[in-house]
Amino acid sequence: MQLTRPAPAAGPLPAGAAAPVVEVTDLRRRHGEVEAVRGISFEVRPGEVFALLGVNGAGKTSALEVVEGLAPASGGTVRVLGADPVTERAAVRPHLGVLLQSSGLPADLTVRETVALWAATLTAPRPVDEGLAQVGLTDRAGLRVRSLSGGERRRLDLTLALLGSPRVVVLDEPTTGLDPESRRTVWALVRQRVAEGAAVVLTTHHLEEAEELADRIAVMRAGRIVLSGTAAEIAATQPATVRFTLPAGAPALPAVPGAQVVSAVPRVELHTRALQPVLTALLAWADAHDLVLGGLQARAASLEQAFLAVADGADPS
Amino acid sequence: MTALTAPAPAPSGLRRVRALAAAETRLLLRNRTAVVNSVLLPLFLVAVVPAAGLGGDGPLGPRLAVTAVAVTLVFLTYYNLVTTYVARREELVLQRMRSGELTPAEVLLGTAAPTLLVTLVQVALVLAGTAVIGEWSTPTDVVLPVLALLGGAALMTLLAAASTSFTRTAESAQITTLPLVTLASVTSGVLVPLTAFPEQVAQVLRLTPVEPVVELARLGLAGQTWDGRTVDWAGAWAAAPQPLLVLAGWIALATLVAPRVFRWAPRR
Repeated sequence: MQLTRPAPAAGPLPAGAAAPVVEVTDLRRRHGEVEAVRGISFEVRPGEVFALLGVNGAGKTSALEVVEGLAPASGGTVRVLGADPVTERAAVRPHLGVLLQSSGLPADLTVRETVALWAATLTAPRPVDEGLAQVGLTDRAGLRVRSLSGGERRRLDLTLALLGSPRVVVLDEPTTGLDPESRRTVWALVRQRVAEGAAVVLTTHHLEEAEELADRIAVMRAGRIVLSGTAAEIAATQPATVRFTLPAGAPALPAVPGAQVVSAVPRVELHTRALQPVLTALLAWADAHDLVLGGLQARAASLEQAFLAVADGADPS
Repeated sequence: MTALTAPAPAPSGLRRVRALAAAETRLLLRNRTAVVNSVLLPLFLVAVVPAAGLGGDGPLGPRLAVTAVAVTLVFLTYYNLVTTYVARREELVLQRMRSGELTPAEVLLGTAAPTLLVTLVQVALVLAGTAVIGEWSTPTDVVLPVLALLGGAALMTLLAAASTSFTRTAESAQITTLPLVTLASVTSGVLVPLTAFPEQVAQVLRLTPVEPVVELARLGLAGQTWDGRTVDWAGAWAAAPQPLLVLAGWIALATLVAPRVFRWAPRR
């Protein structure tokens, strides 16, 4: 997989992979004068999780709403299982499971009634009890939705999204507001659906969630995809960091090839894309001068670092 | 590209609407205030119409029934549906329902179902009330009032959907529904007879949305034309084309406008 900077398409797929079930090409979406999505492209294949990351207002939800068939594109094309999710809604919907970023359910229905209602509208629903058990709501089945906690409502919403065993699942911030245990339950459900062959498109503000679940990630800023690839590939767009403190009276730090000095004596920070050679050279220099590099830390680049760099407006480099 | 393959047969639109309608009806029945009001309005009409001399001239039974059709459609169907659609939109329920296999039209119809059911029940209760107080009289024609009720219910549902575009909250529906409620009260001929207006004004008022409902109901139930002439079955049908066309025109217009202005989610 290649990394694209900035990326018109979110990463080509390995040769021989299954045909894509979600195809987004040069998608644009306007809200009045504001162009929320400015020509993004990506594909998702069966058994794959694709994550869209970005700060609030980056255009993630606006893009997903077109994939979900809830809003028309202003430009470009979206195909879900080969069909337009807006104009060929009836063909797409039986195969599409959607969890909206925020949504409501009738507050005075019980949990079981809510799942049963949803099941009655689906082409191939799983049993209601199975749906309830899957998200740990069996013992809450008789309660009205209004009395559930925020996390329980989110789990209820998720089981509705997955109740029809959809081939394409769109999850807009699925674990927002969930406690760590519930979040892991959601991750397990997503993995199970993916193992069964579903394609998943998700947005999240939890970077560890993207690292945990996603096969490929695209980072959006101001309506565009500016980075895409695997978590490791995206992290690798940022330099590794070496930090240490030089003792008083230490000789001047030599120029280390491949390292950029961000802050100098006595608390030194170096950035490098060649961590091992830089670290080797640095340790050799310290050894030659019989120096102890206080609090020495060497940290590889992270997805978070890349995300923050994009959020800060830095060009990926 | 992976092609779509046909899964198990999809539930019919009717089955999906029935599922949502059943859930909405359950919600209505859990709201005691709404249930009590549903019964009180017909009782109120049976008490007030004779006292206030509403519903035009002639025997009390048909006057009660005509008034019930118009008042129920405007004050219950239209007003309730505006508040229900707006409340569901602001609670994000409409958007959630639309994200599944229910089509947009099915979501709107299923959500409206309990209100439409209560509309029918209330009119039926008033008809039963007229029998109980000994004022029942055989209608001149049954089809025309049924068309008035069904056409009126369809129109009120569509106008309610359209009215949500300028109604931000369920509370503000008390204000935003006033234009249609006032227009219907003054111009439909149910509270103020059209014969009270100059002929040319009355002819214009016959083009307003609720007047044809009242006119058709009165033709069928009382055998009376809009200007107070008494007619038989043939005369009722001879007078029916204009209100039928006007009602159909309003339904067609509302069908065009409502989907274009309806919003499924709160304004961002």
